[in-house]
Amino acid sequence: MKKQSRLKIIAASAVLLAGMMFLVVAMTRSTSMRHFTPALLVAAENEAHDQRVQVDGLIAVGSSQWDAVDFKLTFAIQDRETEATVNVIYEDRLKPDNFKDGGSVFVEGKYDATQNLVVATKLMTKCASKYEGAESAVSTDETSYISE
Amino acid sequence: MTAEIGQAAIYLSVLSCLWAIVFLGIGLWIRNARAIQSGRNAVVATFILISIATGALIYGFVTDDFSMKYVVEVSSAAQPLLYKIAALWGAMSGSLLFWLWLLTVGGAIVVWQNYQRNKQTQDTLADYSLIPIAIVQLFFVILVTGLIEGIYNPLARFPNGQVVADGQGMNPLLQTPLMAIHPPTLYIGWISLTIPFAFAVGALVSGRIGSGWILRSRRWMLFSWIILTIGITLGGNWAYKELGWGGYWAWDPVENASFMPWLLGTAYLHSVMIQEKRNMLKLWNILLITLAFQFTLLGTFITRSGIITSVHAFGGSGIGGYFLSFILASTAGVIGLIIYRWNRLKSANRLESLLSRESAFLLNNWLLVGLTLIILWGTLWPIISEAINGEKSSVPEAFFNKVVIIPGLLLLFLTGAGPIISWKKITANNFRRMFLLPLVIGLIGGALTWGFLALIGYTFPLYSVLCSFAAVFVLAAIFAEFYRGAKLRAKRQETSFVNGLNLLIQRNKRRYGGYIIHIGIVILYIGIMGSKGYFLLESQTMTLGESMEVGKYKLTMIDSFEKEYSNYLRSGVIFDVEKNGKRIGTMEPALHAYYTAKPDEEPTKESAIQHLGVNDLYIALASVPRNIKTGGVVNVQVYYNPLIGIVWIGVAVMVLGGIVAIAEKSERSKDALISEA
Repeated sequence: MKKQSRLKIIAASAVLLAGMMFLVVAMTRSTSMRHFTPALLVAAENEAHDQRVQVDGLIAVGSSQWDAVDFKLTFAIQDRETEATVNVIYEDRLKPDNFKDGGSVFVEGKYDATQNLVVATKLMTKCASKYEGAESAVSTDETSYISE
Repeated sequence: MTAEIGQAAIYLSVLSCLWAIVFLGIGLWIRNARAIQSGRNAVVATFILISIATGALIYGFVTDDFSMKYVVEVSSAAQPLLYKIAALWGAMSGSLLFWLWLLTVGGAIVVWQNYQRNKQTQDTLADYSLIPIAIVQLFFVILVTGLIEGIYNPLARFPNGQVVADGQGMNPLLQTPLMAIHPPTLYIGWISLTIPFAFAVGALVSGRIGSGWILRSRRWMLFSWIILTIGITLGGNWAYKELGWGGYWAWDPVENASFMPWLLGTAYLHSVMIQEKRNMLKLWNILLITLAFQFTLLGTFITRSGIITSVHAFGGSGIGGYFLSFILASTAGVIGLIIYRWNRLKSANRLESLLSRESAFLLNNWLLVGLTLIILWGTLWPIISEAINGEKSSVPEAFFNKVVIIPGLLLLFLTGAGPIISWKKITANNFRRMFLLPLVIGLIGGALTWGFLALIGYTFPLYSVLCSFAAVFVLAAIFAEFYRGAKLRAKRQETSFVNGLNLLIQRNKRRYGGYIIHIGIVILYIGIMGSKGYFLLESQTMTLGESMEVGKYKLTMIDSFEKEYSNYLRSGVIFDVEKNGKRIGTMEPALHAYYTAKPDEEPTKESAIQHLGVNDLYIALASVPRNIKTGGVVNVQVYYNPLIGIVWIGVAVMVLGGIVAIAEKSERSKDALISEA
């Protein structure tokens, strides 16, 4: 009797473990998005076309336009290291606080390679808390993002 | 001069930490009471020295000493006093010092409690646990000395006597009272986890792995748990009120870093009961507390190391390596001790049945640890995916939302089933007496929810129905426990039911405090179900006089305003709010333009939140144009968040339950110690 219930317990644990692992793997596969810098996204345009992607870079100086009438934000994300840019359109949502030229930005959305455009569903700017490196005593290097 | 004194105090504390480690180690090894006392004194000395350093930094803030690097970085002359002091944890160096200071407070408390206790019994467990505490302190002391690349000493001045005219000040978004309390609350929660961990290490080193260390560490863990619960919620509440995106939880790595130790702490609080009652899971408890402690460091590592740079571009600060090394070294140390004490870690009893209180606890632990690992997986997916196929990917919020639902609902069910299932093995009688009625009531609750949601247009809300079923079942099960217990007490003491209830809780605060926490959990779940599952979001471009509709509510933008305050300009619009044609009030979403803001910094959103019972109407604005009175347009985003008020109530009930439970000073713990010694 004892042995039997031990077996049951082991079997139940195995089922639970397998179930959890299956859930995690399945959800990871279905939701995982590739992450790009603007330069890498432009380079991988064929693969990335029509895929949900994440892009992380800087708000290209002078590129951002807020169209209040159509409730639409357009701007370009510039690569941190190269000149490559990707256009972004973000509609029917407010701009996050801290959205400013040259600032860090992170977008999530579908990439249209023909127009080099990400139709963003999520847009985050850098968060206000400023944990930073030592040398930046007089800069305001910030850390996490504020999600919108 | 004060800054120099503070710096000297930090350097001296390297010595006091080493002193504590060496003298406690030797004293316990050769059983020399004077050496042990000397080691204890060194722990107190570290506390005094770090208090001096922290005081010196606060003095720098208060006196606007802009020759100090750190003061310039996070404070400014115009900053209100509260935020000058809050600047202590406003950036890396200061927050490490603050973290260290809290840890030295913890060390001093352990010494004090030990002193009190030793008046009655001679017990060396606390002395053993002071060694790991001093080691962790030493790690943080070294980080703040400024001798390590990547972090400067928080008391350092600019070179060559340079003085800056004014500091940069703290970001306006952080200048809210909530933000002044939120970080230190989380810190206290994280740091107090060091103490139960230290007791576990002390138990391993001393070889006394019975229930003594468990009883000593349990209250510390409960304390951490309460504080972490408050801290995490304050963060969510701040995000909700300040950030203008209508939500309170987004599975951001920083949030996850605070949530994972909480989950592990919750698991530990449950598994220790098994060790107490059935003398099982000794090894598991040591592993759990070790994991919980390591996760507080891992959280720092994840968020501050720059390791997930490409996703969230955290300032790569170079301290990640030190944290990772410390995590690995201390884990290796614990594993070594476990192997050394392997024979004493065996369980005295075994699980007897799949359907028993023990199994319910075990399942609870599996699920909580499983959830932690799932969240860790999602948080680290950028690194994992890159390691697997060289492509950096990450998972969105939706991953977490989807993946936690099923384990989360199972856990909810267990909050009711665990306390009423019998030990060792469920019996037919136990099932009939305890389960049947709550299950039936739960089914009715689930069916009613289904009916209600179907009426308002949701055809098959599976998870909501399951959640309501489990929630109602748990409430029925727990209220029945209270009812039965109170009635029995009342009968035995020949007093009223209310007195009986009071006596019941007074006599067993831990148990019934725990049940109150469970009630809070149920309330929290219902709040999350409503606010995450059924919120409405409408965006519209509007001019004055226009209206928009959100659910049953009609919002008319009737006016705009502008008002000057001491450190910002507030501009906004006024909405008239109607429900089903009946006017219920006005709302004033606004923007705050801080005078100290840099030219390219935009005003911050100050969303308007109208509480309608437990539901919220939430309005955020993008900007208020100058020509608003003459037809200029405003972009408005409105959320209707059903049941969100219940989220905060649920947490408040959980905290209340925690306070009831922690109030029980276990007399048994002393007995246990004596019998063990």
